[in-house]
Amino acid sequence: MKKNLHEGICDETLFANVYNRYAQSLHDFLYYKYGEKLNPGDKAQDAFAKLWENCKKVTLEKAKSFLYTVANNLMLNEVKHQKVVLKYQSEPQKDYNNENPEFLLEKEQYFKKYQEALAKLSEEQRTAFMLNKVEGKKHEEIAQLLGVTRKVVEYRIYSAFDQLKGELENFKIK
Amino acid sequence: MDQEKLIQKWLLEELSEKEGAAFDALEDASFYRGIIKDAERFKASNFSKVDDFETFKKQVILTDPKVKKLEWFRPMLRIASVAVLLFGIYYVFMLNQPTTVETLVAQKKTIELPDASKVVLNALSEVNYDEEQWNTKREITLEGEAFFDVAKGAKFDVITPKGTVSVLGTEFNVKQRGTFFEVACFEGTVRVVTNGHTEILEVGDNLTVFNGEVIAGKNSFNEPQWTKNSSYFQRTPLLEVFAELERQYGLTLTFDHVNTDQLFTGGFVHGNLEAALMAISAPLDLDYEILKANEVRFSKRE
Repeated sequence: MKKNLHEGICDETLFANVYNRYAQSLHDFLYYKYGEKLNPGDKAQDAFAKLWENCKKVTLEKAKSFLYTVANNLMLNEVKHQKVVLKYQSEPQKDYNNENPEFLLEKEQYFKKYQEALAKLSEEQRTAFMLNKVEGKKHEEIAQLLGVTRKVVEYRIYSAFDQLKGELENFKIK
Repeated sequence: MDQEKLIQKWLLEELSEKEGAAFDALEDASFYRGIIKDAERFKASNFSKVDDFETFKKQVILTDPKVKKLEWFRPMLRIASVAVLLFGIYYVFMLNQPTTVETLVAQKKTIELPDASKVVLNALSEVNYDEEQWNTKREITLEGEAFFDVAKGAKFDVITPKGTVSVLGTEFNVKQRGTFFEVACFEGTVRVVTNGHTEILEVGDNLTVFNGEVIAGKNSFNEPQWTKNSSYFQRTPLLEVFAELERQYGLTLTFDHVNTDQLFTGGFVHGNLEAALMAISAPLDLDYEILKANEVRFSKRE
């Protein structure tokens, strides 16, 4: 017999569901917010380990916010003015293969610049922007994750874009 | 509509068809689209992925050391609380216990009571008193012999199996050995109640009860001699004198044709066996013989 959903998530199948549903997006969130140096994968896993420890107390509805809060706190414990770095795919994608070397070089420089620009964004701007534009999350959902209003999320996306646009001005395709 | 507004709307994906066309017409439209498109290259899952659930399960759920730790913690707490409880009970119990002080053979002890009264215990004696209750009830039980220097205050009772001695602040000696009971008053006034008999002792008086016989007398000294490391007796049955000798030196005495009922007046020192034996045997015309380390035999002189 299945356990009542309101009585924790100690059931292994149930926990596996929660894991599969949130693990990757939790990881992505941490990655965009804190960069790759602080091991977002480990922190996501630690958060799930904590969730498992407390599986009797946390209901299914609370699991998501529990995970994000715990993971965020774990990160904050470790953040010591680390420079945030997001990796990018340096291998040119197939559609550029036929381009001349000069173009490839320029493209390479462009992504370097892009990477720096992302690092320069505030974590709030970057998180909102990346979650929306790359992960395709709805404004409403991001607002919930970050604990802010939808308007704030929209403003952050816009200001992030505005800043990126300014940084990459020189790479406009002529 | 100005360009900023248009970009904002485009970012929010709220452009109408007409606005869409206007955005496309912007000089930098493809640059903007490029920025959004190229952000894809930084997509998190391109670089790191979380472990799947099976791996997580192996690492966390199956090993799961923290959960086991928690299961340890609760019983530990229980054990600890029981220990604390037991300790508490023991402590309370001990607090309510009266204080007991006793002396061994050839040992003397001076005790300071909570109100600065002083008790000097002679050899092989024991007193009990309740330190907590002392301020409201000055009561001390005695077996053996002790000298009391009582601080002024409420009634002070010395309870012995043979009688009770009550005082108000004075110095007196109480001796109860077997059926022998002696009270000597050295300062103030003492009331002695024994076998339904009440006697008031003034300074210098003493009272001896032996085998139901009450004898009143006067002290020879103004403090008990045993506190000065010698024993002094006034018309005391010889048996009690020998019993005191045994207590002070840890001896076993045997007698050969000795009348132990005769009365003895005199004393002996503590800490010098030969001198003590001599002091007793000479006036009574007795011989003594030290048989072993702690055995002495008295016999009638031929």
